Amino acid sequence: MTSSGRSRLYAALLAATLLSPGAVVSASVAGAAEDKTLDVRFYDDPAGFDPANIFRIENENIAFNVFSGLTTYDGKTGAIVPDLAESWENKDNTTWTFHLRKGVQWQKGYGEFTAADVLYSYKRILDPATASPYIAELTGIETMEAPDPYTVVIKLKQPNGGFLHTVANYHQGQIVKKEAIEAAGDQVRWQPVGTGPYYLESIDVNSRIVLKRHKGYYKGPAPIETLDFHIIKDDATAAIALRNGEIDLLMRQNKEEQLQILKDAGFKMNHVDNYAATLKVMNLSDPILKDVRVRQAIAYAIDYPAITAAIAPSLQAPAYSIMMPWMEVFAKDAPRYEYDPEKAKQLLTEAGYPDGFTLKALNTSAQGVTEQQQFEIDYLSQVGIKMELELVDTPTYNQRRNKGEFMTATRLLPAINPDMILFSYLHPDNRSPKGLNGAQYDNPELTATIEAARAEADPEKRMELYAKAQTIAMTDLPYVPSTANNVYWPSKTNVTGVNINYLAQVNFWEVDE
Amino acid sequence: MLVYSLKRFAQLFTTVLGVVTLVFFTMRMIPGDPISAIAGDNLSGEALDRMRSQMGLDAPLFVQYLNYLGHLATFDFGNTVTTKLPIIGLILGALPVTVSIAVGTIVLTVLISIPLGTLAAFTAHKGHRMLDNAITGVAMVLDLMPSFWTSLVCLLIFSLTLGWFPASGTVSIDDPAHLLRRIALPVLVLSMAQVATLARITRTSVLEVLSEDYVRTARSMGWSELRVLFRHALKNAALPIVTVIGLSFGNLLNGTVIVEFIFTLPGIGNLLVGGMNSRDYQMVQTLIVFYALIFVAINFATDLIYRVFDPRVQF
Repeated sequence: MTSSGRSRLYAALLAATLLSPGAVVSASVAGAAEDKTLDVRFYDDPAGFDPANIFRIENENIAFNVFSGLTTYDGKTGAIVPDLAESWENKDNTTWTFHLRKGVQWQKGYGEFTAADVLYSYKRILDPATASPYIAELTGIETMEAPDPYTVVIKLKQPNGGFLHTVANYHQGQIVKKEAIEAAGDQVRWQPVGTGPYYLESIDVNSRIVLKRHKGYYKGPAPIETLDFHIIKDDATAAIALRNGEIDLLMRQNKEEQLQILKDAGFKMNHVDNYAATLKVMNLSDPILKDVRVRQAIAYAIDYPAITAAIAPSLQAPAYSIMMPWMEVFAKDAPRYEYDPEKAKQLLTEAGYPDGFTLKALNTSAQGVTEQQQFEIDYLSQVGIKMELELVDTPTYNQRRNKGEFMTATRLLPAINPDMILFSYLHPDNRSPKGLNGAQYDNPELTATIEAARAEADPEKRMELYAKAQTIAMTDLPYVPSTANNVYWPSKTNVTGVNINYLAQVNFWEVDE
Repeated sequence: MLVYSLKRFAQLFTTVLGVVTLVFFTMRMIPGDPISAIAGDNLSGEALDRMRSQMGLDAPLFVQYLNYLGHLATFDFGNTVTTKLPIIGLILGALPVTVSIAVGTIVLTVLISIPLGTLAAFTAHKGHRMLDNAITGVAMVLDLMPSFWTSLVCLLIFSLTLGWFPASGTVSIDDPAHLLRRIALPVLVLSMAQVATLARITRTSVLEVLSEDYVRTARSMGWSELRVLFRHALKNAALPIVTVIGLSFGNLLNGTVIVEFIFTLPGIGNLLVGGMNSRDYQMVQTLIVFYALIFVAINFATDLIYRVFDPRVQF
């Protein structure tokens, strides 16, 4: 550190001490429980925590606790709540003004957080040299400026009522520190520095990740001093480690039978239901699937409530829409497809396939032929559709799915922002191979509706537009909803505050033991 | 001996170069690349293309190949493709774990299967089929049990019910006592399968020499059965046994994948599977070079050991 850097740091520390006596008091109070450690399961090899190119939920969980956004999601309700921005206002959903919290301290002595950090973070995502996959989230920004250190004004090219999701504590919305990024060089994904409740103390990519609480966190230090994440890939082993007392909290448990065992043994079953839906992507460039009656027939033919009840009553529930029921804009009256094999046969006959057809389903071989697929094959065969599985390994699957080389595939896109789902799946600009619209869906009426909904400032009109969009999408059915997924984080009974949000993330500041 | 060593070295060089080239091109012929491996559900094709070009994955294949050879020549194994971690560090960190498991397994296997196989051969030779059949039968059952299943059963019994061994926890070569506790179950599981093969080979080879003239001669000199069996029969039956041990050591190094996964041991099997699944070209290439080197070294060592047992072997 240069001498000017050091004196800046001292000044910042001095200022923090003088300005916030409260912080000092709360730190010493928390000192009583100084050495609390929570052992948490981490289920895969960590892939790094740089918000610009982070991927996969387990890594996002670390970043969620290290970084902050201007806004964040309430763990219990999923509602948008203030984070680094104390308050905000907007004009016509186009000009957004954020008033930043004062006295927020960066981890590892990087001083006070200011508006310049916000501008730097967004510009970094927008810089092509960063090669961030999340660049498209911010390209709607026309200008951004910081009239003073505690105010950020962002002007959008087009009105966007969901902009508070864009600046939330997730991916592109996570605020980084320029000096820390530059100091880390090409190892930036392993040296995250944020303003969140925990900082990364050490990492052994083969076995563990250790987070320590950030004492200067603006809401006060977290109750638990150390979060010790142990990499345990196998679900059965993870369950045994919890039963053995080696682990306090399992990040995810995806085996139904293990959940049953843990439940019976009296462990606490922290969970969030319906966090995201798995959709069957119908490729509309296929000559058979381009007929809407065929797609509706598929939806009528499969009894998902029966399937989920039979195979995974804890982990899955039937899904009836591309949107999730907990979303504010969810439309209850959009068309639903309850199990009705007669109707399916009738639609197939009308479409000119009285004897059915062969449906090729591309999927990953990671789990082999799943029980769900066996059920689907059986249900579809009862209306004459022969479902043929094409199982390939995950990278191949991802590649073919992104290129649109399939008849049907599946996708699960976790999102709290309804626009994320609507635009990714249904907007013609996002048709694969460019984006996630693997169905190649392009309905001008729907496109106009979702664009209008995003721009609309009047709450009532906005709800109407979203309802209309869902009605069109569920009538055209480019995506057939199959199952809604539940996320479980079983723990010892003394672990409290494990609130899993709808992005399957836990804010460890709320967790105690 | 010197000429022999030089010859073996030249052989090593061409083997490694061949392996490197083969792996380089086959890895790239498999559909999917490192970027499509991380794609998951929420990254678009456009976003992935951007990452691809930043990582130099869109350069012509031949240029990438020459580049790679250049780095290899200076022993620069590079970083993992997506996570930018130095590969050599990852491998050196993981190697002790896998080697400990492999060595432990070989030791346990040899301790169990050689006496067992010899005993089976001896009783078979004497015409007592019962013990022979029992040993061969048990060995076969052990051999046929899949290791992912025996692993879970061992975890349930020894870890959960009896509480003798932990199911998870950090593994470090700096703490040998803890390392032993962590690798005990994997070693047990792997040995079960190895015992079958080695006991069978031992039985066959010993049985074969038991009818040789020199064994009869030894016996006629009045030596005890045990001395005849272990000093004369077993020593002369050793060559095929040593060969199998050498081979199974090599196989163990990459056969630890499943137990490493289930017992959460950060070994090189884990690295290889992770590297394949994430299409981390650099990682897979480097690991294969390591494997090739290890195999060549084991073959070399096996050849040297031959001489100990059979002075007639010339180099």
